[in-house]
Amino acid sequence: MALIRKKNAGFTGDTVQLDGVALRYDTGRDVFKALTLNLPQKSFYFLTGPSGAGKTSLLSLLYLAMRPAEGTLRLFGEDVTLASRTRLAELRRKLGVVFQDFRLLDHLSAFDNVALPLRVAGIGEAAVRRDVSELLKWVGLADLMDARPAILSGGQKQRVAIARAVVNRPSLILADEPTGNVDDKIAVRLIQLFVELHKLGSSVVVATHNESLTARFPFPRLHLENGTLSVLPPQVGAETG
Amino acid sequence: MMLAFRSDLPLRKTAAGHFVQWLVMVLVFMAALAATVHAYTDGLLTHWNRSVVGTLTVQIPPPAAENATPAASTSDAVTAALGALKTHPAVATANLIPRGKVLELLEPWLGSGAAVSDLPLPALIDVQLRDNDASAAAAVGKALSAAVPTAIVDDHRVWLSRLTNLAEGVGVVALTLMAMISGALALTVIFATRASLAEFVQVIEVLHLVGAKDDYIAGQFARRALSQGIIGGLCGLMLYVPTLGVIAWLGSRVERGMLPDITLPLTLWLTLAALPFVAGLLAMATAHMTVRRTLRTMM
Repeated sequence: MALIRKKNAGFTGDTVQLDGVALRYDTGRDVFKALTLNLPQKSFYFLTGPSGAGKTSLLSLLYLAMRPAEGTLRLFGEDVTLASRTRLAELRRKLGVVFQDFRLLDHLSAFDNVALPLRVAGIGEAAVRRDVSELLKWVGLADLMDARPAILSGGQKQRVAIARAVVNRPSLILADEPTGNVDDKIAVRLIQLFVELHKLGSSVVVATHNESLTARFPFPRLHLENGTLSVLPPQVGAETG
Repeated sequence: MMLAFRSDLPLRKTAAGHFVQWLVMVLVFMAALAATVHAYTDGLLTHWNRSVVGTLTVQIPPPAAENATPAASTSDAVTAALGALKTHPAVATANLIPRGKVLELLEPWLGSGAAVSDLPLPALIDVQLRDNDASAAAAVGKALSAAVPTAIVDDHRVWLSRLTNLAEGVGVVALTLMAMISGALALTVIFATRASLAEFVQVIEVLHLVGAKDDYIAGQFARRALSQGIIGGLCGLMLYVPTLGVIAWLGSRVERGMLPDITLPLTLWLTLAALPFVAGLLAMATAHMTVRRTLRTMM
């Protein structure tokens, strides 16, 4: 897709570096301890693990909604624990996040929801109009640009959420169970969408429970279980033989 | 509409927002009244000052003795007093105020019936001094008492200084009121903004997650507060105009001598015209600061 371009062209290191990272809830309970992980640029990983293992929490760390209790998290080579609020906002602009519950703003139309990342980045309205319209056409929602999320189906909301995640041409796409509410056929199409974005240069992490998906696409898995993270090889062939 | 801004937050629909607008209306209305009272008192003082500066009024009371011939004895005393005054070096002019004019001055209080004209009124002499200083007034008073021991000298400086104190007091009260109104406005905006922040915490979280800086979010609240301040302020002025009209009409029905005509200065009208915009800017700055402070405690 012509819309995607690399924003941090000068950066050549790993997109994500976790070094001894621990995450703790306010209650004091550890979600995980001492995670160490490097995600290279232009990589594609599935994030798997049982429910409650901390997949969503790990993604929250990566999209900077939470800070590590211990250890160092670097995004695009920058230590986020030392970053100012303004710098964190700038780093978030390099991310595209698809939330499990979409997190669309109900009072805004599909168009305005997708336009949000561009508008907060101060992009001119003419460019916003052009990019958002093109993207909504690309995800098959050209006729529903003015529709509010309340009248959209689950699949349509999901496509709006994905369009919002990628409209800013992110370097790292994080998707939390993006196929949770759709049937397998649509799930495959959605993952194919992420694969296309990956081919255009973005790093992608997709958290999923769906083993038939991880078996269908040849990407390594980050497996989170009992507070430890292991990198597993692609599962391709395990199901399809 | 000029004051409509595109916003990612549904701030237009909040109850807190409407409350701010209503309150700004009331506060601007009160501020406008306070400013008017201040300007009027100031004008009144200038008017009095201009009328009495460098003047004395000498009273020659009518004789108290029952067998005295009032007209004759007052007339002698007046002649003696006028003689003493006109020859005094500090006096520029000294003129007897005609009895008709004295009755006219008393008319607002006592009416104009035949009984009033029979009253034993003092003779009044209007004295213009060459210089407006206290020692000249005292010297004139001394010379006058020597010539006419019953004469009473009214040095207007005494009551004028009391009126000045009163006017200054009113000025301080008006300024205090303005400060309190500004404080009330700021507090209202702080509470309304906090209420909106709590209401839209999830929307704000999404804005942060898509890369919004605190300034971007604060700017949306600030623009809304600006428009509420200006609209509320204009409504307050719209309420003030007829109120001033009614007060002016009631004032016009009072006797001229009791309430002089004061022309309110241009600065007052400029201040009043600026009030909605000052209220808007104050609301905007307060909202911006409140949001920035609160956001620091969020994600």
